[in-house]
Amino acid sequence: MTNRRAFMKSGAMALFATGIAGGIPSFIAKAANSAKSNYLFKKNKTLVCIFQRGAMDGLMAVSPYADPNLKIMRPTLYMSPAQTEGKQFDLDGRFGLHPSFESLYPFFGDKRMAIVHGVGSPNNTRSHFDAQDYMESGTPFSKGTPSGWLNRAVGLMGHDATPFRAVSLTSAMPRSLYGDNEAVAINNLQDFAIQMRGNPMTANMAAGSFEELYDQTSNNILNKAGKESFDALKMLNVNNIKNYQPVAGVVYPSSPLGNSLKQIAVLIKMNIGVEVAFAESGGWDTHFNQGAANGTFARNAKDFSDSIAAFWNDLAAYQDDVTVMTMTEFGRTAAQNGTGGTDHGRASCLFVLGNDVQGGKVYQNIGSLAEESLEDGRDLPVSTDFRSVFSSVANGHLQINNNGVLFPKWDGRGIGIMR
Amino acid sequence: MQLKRMYKSFIVGAGFTVLSSFTDSTGIVNNSAIKMPYKKYGYSERQAAARLLDRFTFGAKPGQIDEVLKMGIDQWMEQQLEGTLPDSDLTQRFNNYETLALDNETIVNTYMNAGQVVRFAAKHGLIDRDTAKGDNKKEYQETVRQLMLKEGFKPIVQLQSELINQKIIRAAYSNNQLHELLTDFWFNHFNVSLTKPQCQQYILTYERDAIRPNVTGNFETILEATAKHPAMLEYLDNANSVSNNNSVANKRGNAFVDRQMKQKADEMMATNPTGAEILNKTIQARKVQGLNENYAREIMELHTMGVDAGYTQEDVTSVARALTGWSVRPMIKDAPGRNLYERAGKENLEKRGFVMEGDFLFRADKHDDSVKMILGKAFPENGGYKEGKEVIHLLATSPATAQFICKKLATRFVSDTPSVSLVNHMATTFQKTNGNIKSVLITMVNDPAFWNQKIAREKIKSPFELVISTVRATNADVQQPFQLYNWCNKMGQKIYFYQAPTGFPDRAAYWINTGALLNRMNFGLAFASQKIPGVKFDLMALNNNHEPESPDQALVVYSKILLPERDQAANIQRLSAMVRDNSVADKINQAAEKNSPPPANEMMNEGMMNRNEKGNKSNKEKASKEKEVLGRKNKPITMQYLAGNNTMVAQVTGIIIGSPEFQRK
Repeated sequence: MTNRRAFMKSGAMALFATGIAGGIPSFIAKAANSAKSNYLFKKNKTLVCIFQRGAMDGLMAVSPYADPNLKIMRPTLYMSPAQTEGKQFDLDGRFGLHPSFESLYPFFGDKRMAIVHGVGSPNNTRSHFDAQDYMESGTPFSKGTPSGWLNRAVGLMGHDATPFRAVSLTSAMPRSLYGDNEAVAINNLQDFAIQMRGNPMTANMAAGSFEELYDQTSNNILNKAGKESFDALKMLNVNNIKNYQPVAGVVYPSSPLGNSLKQIAVLIKMNIGVEVAFAESGGWDTHFNQGAANGTFARNAKDFSDSIAAFWNDLAAYQDDVTVMTMTEFGRTAAQNGTGGTDHGRASCLFVLGNDVQGGKVYQNIGSLAEESLEDGRDLPVSTDFRSVFSSVANGHLQINNNGVLFPKWDGRGIGIMR
Repeated sequence: MQLKRMYKSFIVGAGFTVLSSFTDSTGIVNNSAIKMPYKKYGYSERQAAARLLDRFTFGAKPGQIDEVLKMGIDQWMEQQLEGTLPDSDLTQRFNNYETLALDNETIVNTYMNAGQVVRFAAKHGLIDRDTAKGDNKKEYQETVRQLMLKEGFKPIVQLQSELINQKIIRAAYSNNQLHELLTDFWFNHFNVSLTKPQCQQYILTYERDAIRPNVTGNFETILEATAKHPAMLEYLDNANSVSNNNSVANKRGNAFVDRQMKQKADEMMATNPTGAEILNKTIQARKVQGLNENYAREIMELHTMGVDAGYTQEDVTSVARALTGWSVRPMIKDAPGRNLYERAGKENLEKRGFVMEGDFLFRADKHDDSVKMILGKAFPENGGYKEGKEVIHLLATSPATAQFICKKLATRFVSDTPSVSLVNHMATTFQKTNGNIKSVLITMVNDPAFWNQKIAREKIKSPFELVISTVRATNADVQQPFQLYNWCNKMGQKIYFYQAPTGFPDRAAYWINTGALLNRMNFGLAFASQKIPGVKFDLMALNNNHEPESPDQALVVYSKILLPERDQAANIQRLSAMVRDNSVADKINQAAEKNSPPPANEMMNEGMMNRNEKGNKSNKEKASKEKEVLGRKNKPITMQYLAGNNTMVAQVTGIIIGSPEFQRK
């Protein structure tokens, strides 16, 4: 119950301030007596993680174009800042950013976006499923870890939470958020109500019955999800979401990622206590004809980039409190395969965007792409453990500092990309 | 021990033992007996029937337990494993479907995918710079559509919606329920996806021809059927995985074609530099044409041995090389290559090592001829088509595969975490019967673990199962299956669209989360109040046209109808306190006087608050303080507000469908 009380102090006022106090969660009602006065809302930090499912080709996203091996291994996929059409953005004379990331490039220029290259897992699995599992659980050698690293992260924050502390704008709960701390997964915030067309009265009645039944069920999974659903539902007025307008000039792509990030922006602006948010981007498993300046990869990259840029610009007034970090399960083969694509590889790259990021730099320890330097003679080796990046960002932005809990059995160090 | 039981034939009990015979590919006739130990584990025959219906159908229909008992539960199980009951209801419901019996060639030449449409538009001069930019997009689409229809093509959405609808109809109405469940299981195991344009046209025949006929046969049969089907070959890219380590191609075709193209490109350089550049790029692309290891990895990781079976990256690459040339017969009219094959003739091609089997094509000229080492087994050079067959056999018969497949079956039918002994028993049968799935399932239902009372209701229905079990439990007539598909989608299961080759995960924690759960409750309410278009049922008829007199009675009656053989006493007691409220008649009238109801969400929240007050007196004061702050009024809402008992029964039914108990199986 201390949890609930703390929320009362920090969050309840916000409900009133933002005009979404359509209903009062039961725990606020319960806590009302013990809370002598209402404190002003304490702003919290939000970490937004975007998982690129399918394994992004890091060597195409951010190419070590100056390495002569790359051009040989990728006769039709090679790109560089030197070419006339579809040229890359030159980041530092060694790495080039794919032109489809155009909308993100300015953030690199004003030093708010960092790129980390050669990132991956010490476990050399090339299975999507396993690699995602390891990355999201944060334990690359243990499949049995029940919780996800982001769930453990919110558990470490040491202050109290609202039901929206950890949200995922996906239809299924991502592995990263499995665990004991409350988390909400929903694809479309507008579904967040017990609804019955033309019969709100009945819906009300039913909602009461459902809450009672889920509260009592002997099935733990149903019980937990039921409780979280009803707590969250009482905080959210779906009408506010329906009528949401982004900041003038901002247009989100009408893609799954664009929609997810837009809804995360809504939640952040509602001040309902979002501290970790999660979204996904798909289609990165480019085995076949991935294209170069145009094609599958370029389309995905543009959607990815435009969605994040729209989100960031939409959050103009909130940027100090938000950091965006992207991740993908592994990279792809250094050489292109026989069908104009790339197969499963090892290291890839990721992006971190935020006002407290030491950006404008490609953090990396990448060596030559000569065959003898590649892992198994074919893949960019992992030179930066994903945990050193994740922990740096979580420590720096969310102010948590127990890496033993965040990433059990890991004694590595962060890479210091946060201010 | 399992085996002893299996081979112990001729136990002709009093109708409780059923013998089933089948011949495996080695020609040995096996007999395996269904002998389910339910009594020993505390089930009455009636409860056992309910459990079988729970696990081996998409949900019991009203009165179905009695039908099973009348037949005898062992016989019923046998009948379901056979899967040959007539299905005239389906035939009738599929009367107006156009695509269900079509072959691949007709489909690809009638229902064009996006790529074909673009080429079609280009061919007819309908694409120019403006359309490429996206201006006049609607106009362009309409023009293309008209021309397509005029030339006899049909929109691919029709193919897709019939695919989706037939699955829903079969699941709801087929008498061969277990075969439908297994079709769902194996499709998901060997997942292909409508999200991939290259394979979307083939998915209907994939399910119909590669999956459904093989669901209780030998594992190797279904594995090979999927491996050779165009849907899988395209979905995991093997159709395009080719090798340059090929003597035929190197001697004859490739070098010659390359020379010709190079010559042509050089000639063009002066007059048409852009064209020359494109040609040069094509030559370059041809040179790097080759291996794609996508399918090789997934056949090992997901289809057979499992990721922990200890194979290496080297094994994956070698399997990919062994399967080079496994491809799809060119079927699109005027597609490049199609005429070539037709002119060459099947006989000539077969002489050169090509294999044509239906729409499967083994391209001998694209196969890697060199030696390979796979899982410690050497494959000599020039293995040709047979090499791939041997690899499939090697994978299908690996002990790791027996474990992996049996664990997955047990997870589907018994528990999210099946016991090691159950999986071992099933795996033993798997290995002794050449991977016979029917025998494995018999071992499963004969095993004590299947009847463990502790895990009896621990599986959570997938959204599809929830939807179909609701249709079956209410005897609903579904005229618009697509509406139910939309609900599945909302609850987190977009059938046929799961993008990753893993298929939908089969565990409760995947399906149950905040958003999905609310949508399950909303589904219950929408369904019961007949708000889903094209889905009709008669709640009164389910109760022999007897109208319950009170909400209490409705609860008792409809809990029994919808959840037969489950102990519902506690839930009914809890709910009846909520559906019965005698103190608020006047307030109900007040509420009824309101002309326009407030937005759903606001009402919802107030309703919740009232309930909290009722449930917890000590909170009443606090809660009303809160209300003052908010400046809101108290408006209790109860069941009795609703006019007419039909509405009342519908609401009770909706609550039962959305309740935790109905999510379990």
